[in-house]
This record gives sequence, structure tokens and C-alpha cells, in this order.
Amino acid sequence: MASVTLGACARALRPPSGLLGNWQMQIRDSHQRASLLSFWKLIPMRAEPLRKKKKVDPKKEQAVKDRLKKRIRKLEKASQELIPIEDFITPVKFLDKARQRPQVELSFEESERRALLLKRWSLYKQREHEMERDTIRAMLEAQQEALQELQLESPVLYTEATKRDPSLFPFETKGPDYTPPVSNYQPPEGRYNDITKVYTQVSFKR
Amino acid sequence: MAAPVRRTLLGVARGWRQFERLWAGNLGSRSLALAAAPSNKGSPWRLLGAMCLQRPPLVSKPLTPLQEEMEALLKQIEIEKSLYSDHELRGLEESQRLARKKADFYDEEDEEDILLAQDLEDMWEQTFLQFKPGARITEADNKNDRTSLHRKLDRNLILLVREKLGDQDIWMLPQAEWQPGETLRGTAERTLATLSENNIEAKFLGNAPCGHYKFKFPQALRTESNLGAKVFFFKALLLTGDFTQAGKKGHHVWVSKEELGDYLKPKYLAQVRRFLLSDGLSCL
Repeated sequence: MASVTLGACARALRPPSGLLGNWQMQIRDSHQRASLLSFWKLIPMRAEPLRKKKKVDPKKEQAVKDRLKKRIRKLEKASQELIPIEDFITPVKFLDKARQRPQVELSFEESERRALLLKRWSLYKQREHEMERDTIRAMLEAQQEALQELQLESPVLYTEATKRDPSLFPFETKGPDYTPPVSNYQPPEGRYNDITKVYTQVSFKR
Repeated sequence: MAAPVRRTLLGVARGWRQFERLWAGNLGSRSLALAAAPSNKGSPWRLLGAMCLQRPPLVSKPLTPLQEEMEALLKQIEIEKSLYSDHELRGLEESQRLARKKADFYDEEDEEDILLAQDLEDMWEQTFLQFKPGARITEADNKNDRTSLHRKLDRNLILLVREKLGDQDIWMLPQAEWQPGETLRGTAERTLATLSENNIEAKFLGNAPCGHYKFKFPQALRTESNLGAKVFFFKALLLTGDFTQAGKKGHHVWVSKEELGDYLKPKYLAQVRRFLLSDGLSCL
């Protein structure tokens, strides 16, 4: 196809006029031809007729495209980067030796005091945990008794009471602070630049 | 010989009491089976839904001496095990430079910072002193005004309401009679709405009651089908809102768990205290 078009272009570009020139050439060398009307040599027959587009071609093109897509997908799968966890990466500036504090030598009394305080603390926490456990158990018992009484009263109300409450969770509430909120507080004015790094993981799904 | 006899007698008495309770309960359930209706026609107990509305604490509890010691120790250990921060490094450098200046007596490079780390710290201290935080012990605490919500900011406060039952004025948790067609939690929500005239928003913690109280009417009011009443309590946390001042005064009170004893009857109090967390622990 390409060669035919090339040939056509070359012939079109040749000076002077094409067809007339051909005729002249044939008249010039007519003594070499066997007969005046040797047909196939008169008319330039070096051109090929234009090929018709076969119906198989769209399928082939589709196949080519699919192969390309597969290759792209493989490349993308291989290069999926994970979002780095900033807490696990120690910044380089913290490895500096000048940053380290001098080692503190604890006196004997100090280390004794710390050990005894930790023991008292563990005892306190153990008692606190037991108290919490007992209180929760008592509360659950009270609730179970109430539910039993309710069941004795009316099974319908009991079934409704034992249903889950979908509006209960997610439950968000603000915990206590150190001081209560001031009613007419004016926060200081100012702007801030938020420099937190936001990572997005691009996932290609086709 | 006498001891085992006494024990068996006691056993018999306990068994009889339990049998009585069971019998009363069975009577209720049997008559319900006969009635076969959603309403409570058969049982001799009236149903009441009550609401235990709690205001969660706004402020943390003060620390016990042991907790304060532990806090100090933990802060000390944290400082010991840490690295120097940028601010501290800057302070160290500047103190070294000052020491060199005093020792050598010649002017160093003119590119000193005008603001030293020490100056910055002083400035921050000044701004902190100018800030006046809210008071942890409020005026209502000092006046012991029990109707206000702003007292005892480190505890749960429970709503109590005074109502007439018969001829007596009794303090109790707000309650209302159950009406057929609603759940008991719906009764409690209705109590809240009628009491607060829709000013208070509360979050109810679940469909199940947290406690109950059973009482029988005095002999005069008892009938065949009206033996007594069962009150079921539902817990709720106060989100926003309060009673308007224009409402009835002296009829409601916000009270912490220790002060409940001043208001409630002994048996009622015993049942209510079972589902309230004691003071050594956080709010629930």
C-alpha cells in the first residue's frame, strides 16, 4: 500500500505533466513495441488497486488494544506504592548526638522511693479494677432482675425491651476537661498554615 | 438437735416467702395467658416508666495524693528518657554563648538574635497568667443551690422530682404511667418531654430498663386487680438544655449520688443505688 502511494506521489511530482509525458514516451519508443496497441504496456499498470477493508480488522484492532491494556495494568499493579506511616520513620535530625541528654544517676533513696511508689500504685490500680468489676456486675444484675420482672408482667414489652437500639451507636460524647468552659471567651485571632501531608493512594480499577 | 430444727424452720420460712413471690408472679402470667392481649389487663401490677436523667461531669476529679505522686514521677521519667527539643537546644546554645561572651570580653558576630529562648518563655508565661480559666468550684456549690445544673462539676447529677402520691409529697425520679400502645422507653421519653416542655435533649442508653422498683399500694387502695405498681427505670444522659426558671420552683433538684439519701425513701433508694456507679469511678 505504502509503495503504491509513494509511486503515485512520485509520478505526480515528476515534471512536466504526467499522462501526456507517458503518451509521448510511448510514441517515442513505439518502434520497440511489437504492435501499436500492446495494451498492457500502454496503460501504466504498476499501481495496485486500493485494498478493501476486511471485516476481521476491527477484531484485530480490539485484540491489540486489549494487549496494550493488559500491559498497562501489569505495570500499574507492580508500582502501587504504600502510604508511609510517618510514626515509624525516625526523622534524621533526631539521630544527632548533641540531642541526647546526659545520663541521670539516681541516688539510692530516689530509686527506692520510685520502686515503692510503683508497688503502691499497682496495688491501688488492682483495687480500683476490682471495684469497677464488682460495680458493673451489680449493675448487670439489677438490669437482669428488672428484665425478669418485666417478662413476668408482659412478654410483649419484654421482647421490645430486649431489642437492639440502632440509634445508640455510634455514640460520641465529650469527656471532662480540667476547667469548665468560660462563657464569654474570645479566642485569640490569627491564621495558621496547615502543613499536614495528605497521602492519596491511587488505585486503578477498570 | 435445736440448731438443725431452727435451720429447717428458717428454711421453711424462706421457702414460703419465695413461694409467695412466685405465686404472685404466676398469678400475673397466668391471667395474661387467659387475657391473651397486648395490654396489661390481667396482671394486678400497674406499670410505670421512670427516667434516670444524668448530667455527665464537666470537669475531672481532683487527684488523690498517691495519684499526684505518680503523676510527678511519670513526668520526671518522661523528661529523663527524652531527647532535647529544638527550643531546649536553642536555649543551651544561647547560654553557652553568653558564658563565652562574659569570659572573653570581646564582641562576637553581630548576628545575635534579639529574642533569646528565655525571653520567649517569659512572654509565654505572661500570656498564660493573663488567661482566667473557669472556676472548678462554682458559686452554686458555695450557695448549695441544688436546683442549678452548674454545681458539682466533677460528678454525675441526677434529676429528682417531687410529686404527690396519695396525700404525701414524695421525692422520686420522674415517672409516668404506661399507656398501651407504647414501649416503656417511650413512656420515659414522654416523661421527659412533659416535664421539660421539650427544652431538654437527652440520649437514652438502650431499650432495656436498668432497674426496677416494686411497691404495693396501701391497704385502703388495694383492689383485686390493683395490687401495686412496678416502676422501671431507664437511663439517659443529658445533652443540652435545662428547665426554664418560669417552671415550678422547689419541685425539681439535681443531686449527686451521696445526696440521694436526703431525698429518697430507704427502699426506693436501695433499688436506685444499685444501678448508679459509685463515686470512686467515672460517669456511667
